[in-house]
Amino acid sequence: MRDVAIIGVGMIPFGRRDEDSLLDMLAYAAINALDDAGMSDQGVDAVYVANMGAGILQHQTSVASALVDRLSLLPAAADAIENGPASGASAIKNGLLAVASGYYDTVLVAGGEKMREVVGWKGTDFVATMTHPEVEYPYGITLPGMAGMFARLYMEKYGLTREQLTAIAIKNQKMGALNPYAHVDMVITKEGIFESPDSVVNNPVAADPLHFYDMCPVSDGAAAVILCPLEKAGQFTEKTPVVIAGFGQATDTHTLQERDDPTDLKAVTLAAKQAFEIAKLTPQDVDVAELHDAFTILEIAESEHVGFFKKGEGGKAAQKGETSLNGKIPINVSGGLKARGHPVGATGVAQVVEIAFQLRHELPKERQVKDAKVGFTLNFGGFGNNVVAFVLRRSE
Amino acid sequence: MKTELEITAYKCKNCGRVHYPFHDRCLDCKKRDFETIKPQGDPKLLAYTQIFNLPWGFDVRYLVIGVVAFANKIKAMGQIRVDSVDALKTGMTLKASWEPIRVVDEEKIYGLVLKP
Repeated sequence: MRDVAIIGVGMIPFGRRDEDSLLDMLAYAAINALDDAGMSDQGVDAVYVANMGAGILQHQTSVASALVDRLSLLPAAADAIENGPASGASAIKNGLLAVASGYYDTVLVAGGEKMREVVGWKGTDFVATMTHPEVEYPYGITLPGMAGMFARLYMEKYGLTREQLTAIAIKNQKMGALNPYAHVDMVITKEGIFESPDSVVNNPVAADPLHFYDMCPVSDGAAAVILCPLEKAGQFTEKTPVVIAGFGQATDTHTLQERDDPTDLKAVTLAAKQAFEIAKLTPQDVDVAELHDAFTILEIAESEHVGFFKKGEGGKAAQKGETSLNGKIPINVSGGLKARGHPVGATGVAQVVEIAFQLRHELPKERQVKDAKVGFTLNFGGFGNNVVAFVLRRSE
Repeated sequence: MKTELEITAYKCKNCGRVHYPFHDRCLDCKKRDFETIKPQGDPKLLAYTQIFNLPWGFDVRYLVIGVVAFANKIKAMGQIRVDSVDALKTGMTLKASWEPIRVVDEEKIYGLVLKP
């Protein structure tokens, strides 16, 4: 197997993008990645497009075929990858395996989602189609609802506090305000969202015990990466390649009720363990991480299941600032899903793009983790029933 | 309201693991022979939440949803009929019934309903 490098990355600002179609967004992000890789007028061998909901939300299918045509990348091989909110990382994994095996030399992976053009209940319903169609969906359960149940159990088992959850929301929105690609650029305070007279209105309970500011926004957006064998990276660009040093993927039961311990995110633990083993690194080697904080509770729980902290310690660490930019292990200094936004098919790709920026040392100092050499991403599908992790390292 | 809970669970004849919903092979031992079982006793509340942003098909302000465990290890999701989650506590015993849980195309869909 060959070492695989990320030689180009591209993104567009996430948010509400009424003027752009899904295909527009995928094309803009892909063009940015091609330009970044020094491949502005070149083709690629294969294209993988991550998208969860175009068939439901846009009444559009075969988006990979549409994208290669739009970008004049014909006759490149093209596949669409749908794996719920983990579609992005799944698509990168497929590109990685294709290049590592020696079958393709150049691969474009683009992830995108357009979620804001439908009304709120339709978007909520779309995401809820991930739940079990017979024993969960009919009851009206949503992904925020699952996160609410999970958060309460975590509070009861590990003593997680409201203040610890709030620390995540404050940290990530502070960092998002510094990220030009982020959907949310508003700094929040504990006083503003919990103690002011307006807090009942601006931060209501959404899925008890979680409030509005515990949730990521619903976003439009796209991100893309270009992969090639590390040994050939210099043929395309002089920029520092970022190596995909390890990846892992694991699944868990479709329904929450069939997990022996519903607070145990087994697929997160397994995916991360695989990724670190392949990379021959440990969680203690990671300089910067992007975790899947669709809900504040997830950043805390994932930080423990990945191995950055012991169970029950992640919330305390976040509250002490250990996951902030200058902390022991900076997490979601992009703003995470919480502030960058969560266009579901784009998220896993956007996480890798952010880590590539970090490992190439290209970010302004207020967002750059100093001397970052090793990065980690975790893309969380369903409610932890399909999880993909990557360990990335700067190629010196 | 229907008196019988229309829940059928599947107990592995080899290792005893209880499955709900159905799996073609046992989650633990991978064998394929199951005995069908019905819920027994009043269930205990394992997890719950109250959600305010609802998907399509609910003409109510909020839903309270929980997961319960019956005495014979069947675990299931249901709607909880309470005014506030303050009335609930993990581990408490609830009464189970089979009642309408949503309306689709003017047809009532029945499911597990739980009350203190």
